Amino acid sequence: MNEELDSQLSAMFDDQLPPSECELLARRLSRDEQLKARWGRYAVMGAVIRAERGVRLNAPLAGRVSAVLLAEPALGAQSVAGALPRRGLRWWQPVAAGALAAGVAAVSILWLRAEAPSSVASLSARLTTPAAASGASVIPASARERGGRADSYVVPPSPAVPAIVVPSTELANYVVAHSMFSSPVARRNLLSAFMTSEPAAAGAEEPPDDVKSAAQ
Amino acid sequence: MSADVSDLSLVRRVQRGDKGAFDALVLKYQHKLVKLVMRYVRNPAEAEDIAQEAFIKAYRALPQFRGDSAFYTWLYRIAINTAKNAVVSRDRSPIEYNIDRHDNDESYDMQGRMKDSETPEGLVLTDEIRTTVNAAIDALPEDLRTAIVLRELEGLSYEEIAAAMDCPVGTVRSRIFRAREAIDHRLREVFEGGLGRAEELG
Repeated sequence: MNEELDSQLSAMFDDQLPPSECELLARRLSRDEQLKARWGRYAVMGAVIRAERGVRLNAPLAGRVSAVLLAEPALGAQSVAGALPRRGLRWWQPVAAGALAAGVAAVSILWLRAEAPSSVASLSARLTTPAAASGASVIPASARERGGRADSYVVPPSPAVPAIVVPSTELANYVVAHSMFSSPVARRNLLSAFMTSEPAAAGAEEPPDDVKSAAQ
Repeated sequence: MSADVSDLSLVRRVQRGDKGAFDALVLKYQHKLVKLVMRYVRNPAEAEDIAQEAFIKAYRALPQFRGDSAFYTWLYRIAINTAKNAVVSRDRSPIEYNIDRHDNDESYDMQGRMKDSETPEGLVLTDEIRTTVNAAIDALPEDLRTAIVLRELEGLSYEEIAAAMDCPVGTVRSRIFRAREAIDHRLREVFEGGLGRAEELG
């Protein structure tokens, strides 16, 4: 071992080493087992010279303390954890995930709604033309009795009427399919809002002229 | 030289998460702390348990240690409180020590107590360590022996030893280091032999 290093270790043991050298040697001492063993023997010498008679000089106290502290978190890690408590980390994670999922769903709804008028028009034209030609109505009798309101997506169309893919049903399916990524509360709110707003929206929306004329 | 600077650099390392630096502090103060606790409890093994508890309490409390006092002073207080609590909880009376009592009386008393709990191998090894160190000190040149004894027994600083021995501080540092090297040369053999014996015994 380096004699200068040992000389520094001896001076450090006596608190007689300059602080700058102490910093470097403390780092080395904490990692170098050989240096640490020598440091421990310096302590034993002192105990013998001071005639500390009742003390077991071969006592494995340092090893026992070290073994207990193995299970303890390092102090630096503790202070970092203290700055950001774990409990704080737990509550906002699902909320953030739910908010993100709800945001994606809301953007999707808005986008689909923005796309809806043209697709409704084209789809309606495509689906109603044969019916109009044959004199049949695309609106079932029950709907006509209700004043021509469109079907709800939860009520299957009458078997007499050809299957009509209503855009709002697609939209509902889309929302349901994506609801697995949102929190239960957000999912329920989103679906409830959608279900309650859908009939009103359908009622407010004016059907195209050709559909109106066919209904009449 | 400011006192406690080396302890403080080790303490700062521990506070930054370096557990190895705490090992060095335990190694340095374990004998002093056990000796201190033995003022309160009879059994050396029990004193070691209390000292161990004090070290662990100190480790856990280190984030609050600001360095206003010396580390050993702070540790000393923790050990005293731990020992007092242990005595109260076990309903035992603390042993009153007369610090003016002659060392030989105390050593006889302590040796008698040690024999109650120490294994024969442990006693032999402790005696061997003590004999080796004392023999190595006796074999030292006068200037080295004086320097190490003034430092370890009287607790003088290097400046004070330099003044007492009428030599530069650097010479004192060198003498103390050479004294330790000479003692360590013999002591290392005992420790390595002792460890080997302990392993053989299982």
